[in-house]
Amino acid sequence: MTATATTARPARNATAVYVFAVCRGLAAPALAGLPGHRDGGALRLLAAGSLAAVAQEVPAREHDEEALRRRLAEPAELEGYARAHHEVVAAVAAATTAVPLPLATLYLSEERARQAVAGNAARFHRVLDRLTGRAEWGLKLYALPREPAAAAGAAPVPEAGAPQDPPASGRAYLERLRGRQRDREARREAAWLAAERVDAAVGELAVAARRLRCHGQEAGGPERQVLNATYLVDAGRARELAALVARLRRDPALAAHVRLELTGPWAPYSFADEGEAADGEG
Amino acid sequence: MTARVDLDAESVGRDLAALVLTIVELLRQLMERQAVRRVEAGELTEEQVERVGTTLMLLEDRMGQLRAQFGLAPEDLNLDLGPLGSLLPRD
Repeated sequence: MTATATTARPARNATAVYVFAVCRGLAAPALAGLPGHRDGGALRLLAAGSLAAVAQEVPAREHDEEALRRRLAEPAELEGYARAHHEVVAAVAAATTAVPLPLATLYLSEERARQAVAGNAARFHRVLDRLTGRAEWGLKLYALPREPAAAAGAAPVPEAGAPQDPPASGRAYLERLRGRQRDREARREAAWLAAERVDAAVGELAVAARRLRCHGQEAGGPERQVLNATYLVDAGRARELAALVARLRRDPALAAHVRLELTGPWAPYSFADEGEAADGEG
Repeated sequence: MTARVDLDAESVGRDLAALVLTIVELLRQLMERQAVRRVEAGELTEEQVERVGTTLMLLEDRMGQLRAQFGLAPEDLNLDLGPLGSLLPRD
């Protein structure tokens, strides 16, 4: 679908068509006030059979493969590009049911864009049907760095980082290592179990679920991400979802080990394909 | 990701020390884990336990001295392996 492949650089004044999202032709939203990409023209709806593409004409030289490789390698530029994309997708998805397209979906001409959308009409309709009246919610779980001392129970586990008296003997040193390792393993396992439990509970409420790769730990940050999941949820159950997450947060067995972070509703980026792989859950 | 390499002699020396000490630290932690496993399995005599424990304790102590010498904190000795997490456990 991404039609960026041209090896020769486009002419100076050539334009390309950037497509943000696809929606049903009859339900196409108003686009006034949405800027899109800074270097592009006004946003437009391209009719493609029973569908409509939310598109923008952009200078081809700034959006061809070579230019994008350069632009998206710079953090600030990448952020601006992604924000411009996201703003449009989010606004369209808030107004109507829409299939978000991947960042930098470009066509050589309006005609090509229309053809690509119309050619995949059946697939787009299936996805639209699945997304209708639903939104994506993100859920992240972070393992807490260390159990609060009060909850540690009877056996006092020496703090790994805290200053402590040197062990009196080789055996005492090994005992301390053992305690530390057990403590770490126990905390790790508790966090994973918590993640499974939360994912199962939220998945039951969702139409579809998908697990994303956990993000690496922020440099120096004490929290480790143990679940990065996303759920497609009926709009009518958003309140239920919030209540469920609030309940899970209060659950002492979970609260001791993990922190929950719920975000949404989002445009259904993670469910923009037909999601065969994800449908099994929930 | 795009951090520039700063080629002044002092920072290069410190970075190299951090890298070398990270590897040493990895081996040290592996040895510790192995020792704990063997104690748990009851493979060592009382005397061996004492000796291994003392050796590891001295090694940890020496590691702390080396870190201090290069002005490195414990968390400086680690490598981010992206999707695989970090080389050494952070918690």
